[in-house]
Amino acid sequence: MRLHPVLALVCALSVGGCAVSSSRAQGGQEAKSSGQPAANTGAGQQVSGDAVLLGIAVAETSNVALLGQEEVIGARIAERLLNADGGVNGRPVKLLFQDTGGDEIGAINAFQALINAGVLGIVGPTLSQQAFAADTRAEAAGVPVLGPSNTAKGIPQIGEFIGRVSAGVDVVAPLAVEQALKLNPAVKRVAVAYAQNDAFSASETKIFQATVQKKGLDLALVQRFQTSDTDFTSQVTNIVGSRPQLVIVSGLAADGGNLVRQLRELGYKGLIIGGNGLNTTNVLPVCGRFCDGLLIAQAYSPAVDNPINKRFVEAYNQQTGNQPPQFTAQTFTGVQVFVDALRRLDKTQRLETMDLKTLRSELNSAVLTGTYETPLGQIGFDPEGEIKQQKFYVAQIKMDKGGKGGRFVLTN
Amino acid sequence: MRLIFQKLLNGIAIGSVYALFALGYTIVFSILRVINFAHGAVFTVGTYLTYALTGAAFGRNGQLRNASLPLELNFWLALTLGALGAGVLGVIVERLAFRPLRRRGSDPLLTLVSSLGVAIAIVNILQYLFGAENYSFGETLGSMRASVTLAGGELPVVIRTKQIVIFVVSMVMVVALTLLVNRTRTGKGLRAVAEDLTTARLLGIDTDRLIRLSFFISGVLGGIAGALIGLAGSFNYQFGVAIGLKGLAVIVLGGLGDIPGAVVGGLVIGVAEAFVPAEYNAYKDAVPFVVLLVVLLVRPQGILGRAQVQKV
Repeated sequence: MRLHPVLALVCALSVGGCAVSSSRAQGGQEAKSSGQPAANTGAGQQVSGDAVLLGIAVAETSNVALLGQEEVIGARIAERLLNADGGVNGRPVKLLFQDTGGDEIGAINAFQALINAGVLGIVGPTLSQQAFAADTRAEAAGVPVLGPSNTAKGIPQIGEFIGRVSAGVDVVAPLAVEQALKLNPAVKRVAVAYAQNDAFSASETKIFQATVQKKGLDLALVQRFQTSDTDFTSQVTNIVGSRPQLVIVSGLAADGGNLVRQLRELGYKGLIIGGNGLNTTNVLPVCGRFCDGLLIAQAYSPAVDNPINKRFVEAYNQQTGNQPPQFTAQTFTGVQVFVDALRRLDKTQRLETMDLKTLRSELNSAVLTGTYETPLGQIGFDPEGEIKQQKFYVAQIKMDKGGKGGRFVLTN
Repeated sequence: MRLIFQKLLNGIAIGSVYALFALGYTIVFSILRVINFAHGAVFTVGTYLTYALTGAAFGRNGQLRNASLPLELNFWLALTLGALGAGVLGVIVERLAFRPLRRRGSDPLLTLVSSLGVAIAIVNILQYLFGAENYSFGETLGSMRASVTLAGGELPVVIRTKQIVIFVVSMVMVVALTLLVNRTRTGKGLRAVAEDLTTARLLGIDTDRLIRLSFFISGVLGGIAGALIGLAGSFNYQFGVAIGLKGLAVIVLGGLGDIPGAVVGGLVIGVAEAFVPAEYNAYKDAVPFVVLLVVLLVRPQGILGRAQVQKV
């Protein structure tokens, strides 16, 4: 059901947004549907019958709403394309959305609502620290979860039903340091700055710092900041004073982008590596022309050469006029993995012959044993639910002449 | 020594913005003796208005996807119009959240809550319309250099040009406001209303007009502060939330309702924050409140506030 604009505005006025609305699902508790028609879209097999329900629990509001909104777009594109391909062997896929907000309580409530609504699996939450709180609910209820952007250490180890399509930072981060050393082999002194109130950034910086030491470089300075900071003159003063040839920033788009910008404005001329939190085009308007040359470790590149990524990039581009960010691709992948696993499962045993508990458990097993051709490239999972991804990337930002737009250019 | 000088400059630059923001709180508080919690939201709207008037486009996540105005004003003209727009919004906030309750003689605490409600509504509308993306003003200062070196040597003292601009504009606004309040007939009326609303009304002063004016001035100051802080970094729909709390600390620290007090409070807090060692950065936001607590223990009326005399 499409939300009437006036009703949507009223929802926007409420503190938490419209977390609950629209369609009554199997389990009794209401959850918001995406509003996408779960019907034949022409390209593939006709879809009909009872919808297969999957839950999306991401931060549509709060200070991390930007990430959540990117994830919602990915989920909606997945729903549209996968239904166009016939859904789950003819049955439509229907996504139920719950807003987690930016905190742990919101994530727990959203997960519980989706579990009660009878979803077969959940893609979410947005933040690692939310995952540590909310995933335990899904684990207790036996509902498979795929984290679209939870990269901190220990997420898949929460339980047997918990997996992720977002590669751990320990895999991605070292690649960027290697690339920086290729670009400037004279790098000896390194300064590191990270957002200490963000579990992901705090986790990522440890990997960066370990990599720096492993490479025999001098870790000259470690600076901390918060994701809510906009003024970094203190940190930049200290960093410039330590005379590094490489600065590594672990943060999110706004804070990380501002730090990069202020580093350049205050005269730092060396290489800068941005962590995975800066791997979004949202960083470009923040640091503007000063983004130029920034090295970014990536778990997703729009340049991945396979049919599903091409369709995904095209759909995203049609909708927004831009290239898709990583979290959008990972959320798309989360939905796709569930749907692909359900298709396989349905072929061995019809879904409607299983009760909900059995179906959730069988889906979890199917997810873990499959191999998937996704926008991230070919992926699979280890028995704990950790993603096994074949390729990672390091991109360098190239800004346009006016400094308003830019693009991520692969370096490896 | 170099580091101390550098940190002092950093603190004064950010402190001057806190002061400018807090003046908006101060002017309303001095008239109505209540805090306008919607000031942070008005500040954010002023920033968005200025951004839109420069002709920049909004992001892809809101209802106004990729929207932009068909004009590209110079930043300073956009800032002026954006601030005036924020002033008009301030008047609307007064009309919606303050006047109806004041007319009914409600407890001032209720207006505090109603202004908080308006603030939440405004912030959510911003997210609904413009998404949660971060925006920045880009190269608004034209060909000016990004930074200025104040003391040379191997490790020079450097300050961002934008910080100098922010400091200068903030101080100009403080002087202008002080002149308005102390040297004009309107200012005299404002001071009379601040002294005693009922008596001022009995003397024939149009108190409603002056209250509206105080909200307009408050909104203009908020709009300017928002655009200036946005100029130095980036902004999003929640931009005013954190600074709103700091602004409260500033006005209490300086002395509630006191214009020079808001300036001193802003600078004290800005400098105190700048001297927080980087390893304790997580606690930086607590600094204003720790400073506040210490000052209030010594001077409950704030740094420049006057002690309240209880008449029996």
